[in-house]
Amino acid sequence: MRTTDLARAAEQALELVRTEPGVLEAEVFAAANTALLARLNYTSHIPSNGVEEPKSTASCGLGIRAAFVGSAGPLVGFGSEPSDLGVTGARRALDRARASAVADPDFVSLPRSSREPRALVDYHDPALMALDDAALVEAGWKIVGGALRTFTASGKLAALAGDDAGLRRLGVILGGDVTILQERVAIASTHMPRVQTDESTLITAFVTAMVETEGAKGSGGSTGTRLDGFTDEAGVEAAANAIAAIGGERVPSGEYTVVFGRQPVADLLNNIVVPACTAHAFYSERTPFLGRLGRRVASPQLTITDDGASPGLVGSKGITCEGLPTGRTELIKDGALVGCLSNWYETQRLLRDPALGQKLGAAGAEAERALVPRNGFRFGAGGGREFDAQPGIAASNVIVGGADPVSLEELLRTVKDGLYIGRIWYTYPINGLRAGDFTCTVVADSYIIRGGRLAAPLKANAIRINENIRTILENIVGITKDARGTIVWAADEVVYAPEIAVRGVHVDEIATFMEELD
Amino acid sequence: MTPPITVELIDRAKPTVEACLGDAARRLPRLRHADLRLEVVEGKWAAAENGAPKGSGDDERLTLGVRVLAGERMIAPGYVGLTLGAADLAELERLLREALETAYRRATFNADAKADAREKLGPLGQALDDTRLAPVAIRRDTVGAVCRVDPRAVDLAEMVRYAAEVSREVAAADPAVKYNWITTLTQLSRELFASTEGALIDQTFALTQGASSVVAVTGAASLDLHDVLGHQRGWEILLEGVAEPWLRFPTFREFSVALARDAAELAAAPPLRSSDREVVVVTDPHYNTLVSHEIIGHPVELDRALKMETAYAGRSWLLRGLSEHHVGRRVASPLVTAYSDPSLPGYGHYAYDHEGTPAQRVVHIDRGVFRGFMNSRQTAAIFGGEPNGHWKGTRASLVPLIRMSNTVFDAGRRAPEDILKEVDHGWYVAGHRMPSIAESRENFRISARRVYEIRNGELGRLYRDGGIMADSRDYLMNVDAVGSDFRLYPIPNCGKGQPMQIKKLGNGGPTMRSRARLAGGR
Repeated sequence: MRTTDLARAAEQALELVRTEPGVLEAEVFAAANTALLARLNYTSHIPSNGVEEPKSTASCGLGIRAAFVGSAGPLVGFGSEPSDLGVTGARRALDRARASAVADPDFVSLPRSSREPRALVDYHDPALMALDDAALVEAGWKIVGGALRTFTASGKLAALAGDDAGLRRLGVILGGDVTILQERVAIASTHMPRVQTDESTLITAFVTAMVETEGAKGSGGSTGTRLDGFTDEAGVEAAANAIAAIGGERVPSGEYTVVFGRQPVADLLNNIVVPACTAHAFYSERTPFLGRLGRRVASPQLTITDDGASPGLVGSKGITCEGLPTGRTELIKDGALVGCLSNWYETQRLLRDPALGQKLGAAGAEAERALVPRNGFRFGAGGGREFDAQPGIAASNVIVGGADPVSLEELLRTVKDGLYIGRIWYTYPINGLRAGDFTCTVVADSYIIRGGRLAAPLKANAIRINENIRTILENIVGITKDARGTIVWAADEVVYAPEIAVRGVHVDEIATFMEELD
Repeated sequence: MTPPITVELIDRAKPTVEACLGDAARRLPRLRHADLRLEVVEGKWAAAENGAPKGSGDDERLTLGVRVLAGERMIAPGYVGLTLGAADLAELERLLREALETAYRRATFNADAKADAREKLGPLGQALDDTRLAPVAIRRDTVGAVCRVDPRAVDLAEMVRYAAEVSREVAAADPAVKYNWITTLTQLSRELFASTEGALIDQTFALTQGASSVVAVTGAASLDLHDVLGHQRGWEILLEGVAEPWLRFPTFREFSVALARDAAELAAAPPLRSSDREVVVVTDPHYNTLVSHEIIGHPVELDRALKMETAYAGRSWLLRGLSEHHVGRRVASPLVTAYSDPSLPGYGHYAYDHEGTPAQRVVHIDRGVFRGFMNSRQTAAIFGGEPNGHWKGTRASLVPLIRMSNTVFDAGRRAPEDILKEVDHGWYVAGHRMPSIAESRENFRISARRVYEIRNGELGRLYRDGGIMADSRDYLMNVDAVGSDFRLYPIPNCGKGQPMQIKKLGNGGPTMRSRARLAGGR
């Protein structure tokens, strides 16, 4: 499926819709997505496949959002049709939209043109877009090979293992995936009749490695938009980090100064901070930042921005799935809440909400500036721009920065004694988002900081963090310079995360019974 | 115009599917096994927010998934998944053949690469092995749906009206209720499984669900509750409720209004404070539904135990290696029995899993002793034991994983009120809310909807924003009372897999008493 086919389909469908009686306004979204994925599973002590699942999911079709004439105001509906991009498919989608239309009192209009210009065009990688089955399998084995060669070359492991059979008995594990997304979309509407198209590609590797008998776990990852930059680095990194984690120590319950590594920063953003910054969270009064626009919600050192239009960043797109230009939205600037992620619908209704001032904390021009709809995406789980979904709100590239960033070495010296936490897991707002309480366990890539340096690995699965996001954001004591693209499982966005030091983080020691099992 | 997709398509597709598999087995020289899944879902939904309609839909979905095991020097798997539409029906045979060929191509590339890696990657390469499937009884069977009101017969406009009406009643339930979101869903799905071994299994399921989300605000305190009512039945369950021995619900209207009143009451309650040490906790069946899900169900998934989910959903503390595991060892109090049973009703009910294995009850813990895992044909071939039918995908285009069916704590013999009355000082933890579980499921923190202090066997003050935290084995070993009030509940959103698959399944249990730390807000 070519983008020109999608463009023609959107154009034809819009023509059809315009001739239909009772249609007030309509939008046609055509999409063709393929997700290619090589899932990895290697275990030295259990028979395994290495590349466990070379697989794909693919879909194409069109979706129509339309407002129809109703007896007491517009009726708004959505319908879609897979595989058929012709007039018949458009007819079916429109019929479904009409049949499902409801009198939504919050509906204002479908998206209208933005004054902001589109920043990105023609930015995808043709090689990734044309990737074949052999290349998919090869990409998976590249990661497996890199990791296993790193394990085999390790003197530390050789000393522990004794011989070849001993090496396998150590329980070397490799899991994760290489994912390639190929996305093509076209959109046209009665308000924006000129068809817009967008093509994007990305390739990511998300890898976890273990030396299981040593309870040592490490992570590796890579994110990119071009095939020619893809190497075995994620496998090598995960294996090296697992080897470095051998000899992990426990720490007692208490409050620590914690340096959160990139994955924990990304995880906290993905599960708590980003959802708290969506327009819908303000509308439904579920955000811990309720009524705080323009006010301080974090340390003045912290700035968080969503930027969907930055060239070369993995989550960048030319347009949103509403046909609006992507762009830069400041969420938290120097510690103050200054913006929200939004789509057209949520922006329109929140701006007209009589309780806007109480919910957002500002009204008028300040609220309008904070609610520019640059994040209306139709992401499916695991990526892809879905023709059969209506636009929700999703982040794109979330970029975290500090006012006076320093090197990691400098940050560790400032912290002096504490914990470096490199990977957290199952991070949820345990008492609801607005309460801000969250909990998670520490599963890999972590160290005890003594005397301003990483002194010893922290044992995996031995502590649980029980904290509140407000404490984390307020108690930041330092941020590093080097933000890297970081993905977490099942997240839509990519977080360009630095390492962040926070004082007074409460952790509880857990699972001491596991020592008895060794 | 091509006719729309309906579940009847499966009848027409059966001969084509079998012919394509037979042709692939003959034509593709290195093919060792192939299976194919075709699924049609006809579903309707309606949503309302704060008393007003928000959306609805009446859609069909056709998905296809193929697995091929192939190779010469070694055997490896390859997969493909597609979403199809009415326009594809005329060319279904060609699409099935192409999907089989694509999966075959991936499997053969993968097998060659695995054989090369085994030669090149030294001692660690030696652990790479052929993909094998443990044998199962090959069945040809048809299983029908159970429902009184066929989901296809439900009027969409009536669904919209009903959702809005429920939403209005929720909004009016208490002045503290500031926001609500109500959704209803009713669908009929039909799944065809066929394999080169000769299996041909045709299963149809009805499913109806109502979901309520409520935000209540009192002063600076806000409470956000969400709960789901559902069953593998027709639309009737929302209007009439469910009154079965293990599954009991009021009407969806009563269910949603009760949730709203709960939220309002809780928003006015004080937050729970954490405890520094273990206390006596009595947990109700709704809370234990999530406990059984998180600390029984997940760690007894054999793919997780065999490390196949190390990067995602995690491992299991119950197994380190093929000869280092807890099968046959005590992991819980003698009062604790737990099992997975696809023959029980509700979201976890089915007759065959997604590789055609007849579903069967698996006892995980028998009076405190660990007995075994839920498995698939591939994991059973690695670990041993018979396949027990727990390999499930959320749609045919996605590769299945080992998933819970109905995973539960078994009922005990005690009256729940007696379990409470025996407590001088402790805490009653009722209704599950949100879980956070350690990577190998060795520790958990789960928040509850309501926490009451127990004094002298009576419920005292109500607290919000609290729950309990414990190490899994200690918690199970400390169980000293199990009630007779066994209940099953639907879990609508269990996430696992890459890409993520959000699955509906069943969990449950009775009232239980154990020891844990209280975990409150900070």
